[in-house]
Amino acid sequence: MSATVRLVPVQEVYDDLLNRTLSRISCDLGRLIYLASTRDYNTGNYYHEGLASRFSPEVARKALEMAHRQAFYKVSGFSLEGLASELEAYLRSTRENPQEFLRTWQKLEPYRIAIPTEVNLTVARLFTSNLRLALAILRSRQEPGQPHR
Amino acid sequence: MIGTSSALIGAVVLLVLILAWIRADSTSRRLPSTLDGWLPDHGDAVEVCPPEFVSQIFSGQDLAFISRLESPDLKRHFLRERSAVALLWVQQTSAAIRRIMRRHLEASRLSKDIEFAMEARIFLQYAQLRLICGVLFPLIGLAGPQKLHGIALYADSLTQRIGNVLREFESAAGTREMDGA
Repeated sequence: MSATVRLVPVQEVYDDLLNRTLSRISCDLGRLIYLASTRDYNTGNYYHEGLASRFSPEVARKALEMAHRQAFYKVSGFSLEGLASELEAYLRSTRENPQEFLRTWQKLEPYRIAIPTEVNLTVARLFTSNLRLALAILRSRQEPGQPHR
Repeated sequence: MIGTSSALIGAVVLLVLILAWIRADSTSRRLPSTLDGWLPDHGDAVEVCPPEFVSQIFSGQDLAFISRLESPDLKRHFLRERSAVALLWVQQTSAAIRRIMRRHLEASRLSKDIEFAMEARIFLQYAQLRLICGVLFPLIGLAGPQKLHGIALYADSLTQRIGNVLREFESAAGTREMDGA
């Protein structure tokens, strides 16, 4: 039996992830949340069953890490208006009750776990700050006349 | 008479600046709690904020959008949040440039041939940047980040320039050492 070792560049795995998985998610915020969910909370390592079996766990990990960082910088670069639209699109895609969703996100701030390990501190702060504001904007649209923080 | 009123005006301006500084300082002291310190370690590669984000933090685009919503509550919330981000950027830039300079001084001490003109240029840029950061700190609280877009971009380009000069210095020093070995 002969074992052939094929060295797959991370870019190839990244493109595969982009075309097969991420393209099915309708918004950039959704893609970011998805990519963050492939990271193990205890070790910080990324894992994706399909990618790991098609390529190798190590290359898959690197591709996921790269995709996560890129998705994070993309979402962080949105204007406030753009981010509010993204959040609205993500909210619709979850099919949850909008008021409950907004209240929970404001309270628990689950988007904090979407920040990759090695990113600039100021950009990370801008990301959480803008999301807090986008949530307040959506809540003001849902419940006009109420304080939204 | 003119002397007394000038001194009075000067004292008021100084007092306003001191109060603005104290306010900015107390806001920045609260920053670690808003960041919660959970962010992972930050090495040299990620210490400088990418220029497009500096432009975004100090841009007036988001403020214009918030103003269109006609909600004083949201506007107050926005101004507070954005000022905190801008102050963090000033703090980070100041810390990054101090680290870069410290590293440069260590490298200079070990270097055998130091160019005085280059050292003087680096020091002047460093002093200029420290001064800008010192001025930005109270001004963010007083005028808001949106009015300081130009000065923030200038400070950012200066940071990049010092970083590049020092990188060149370090690589030249490395080449000289290899040639000498």
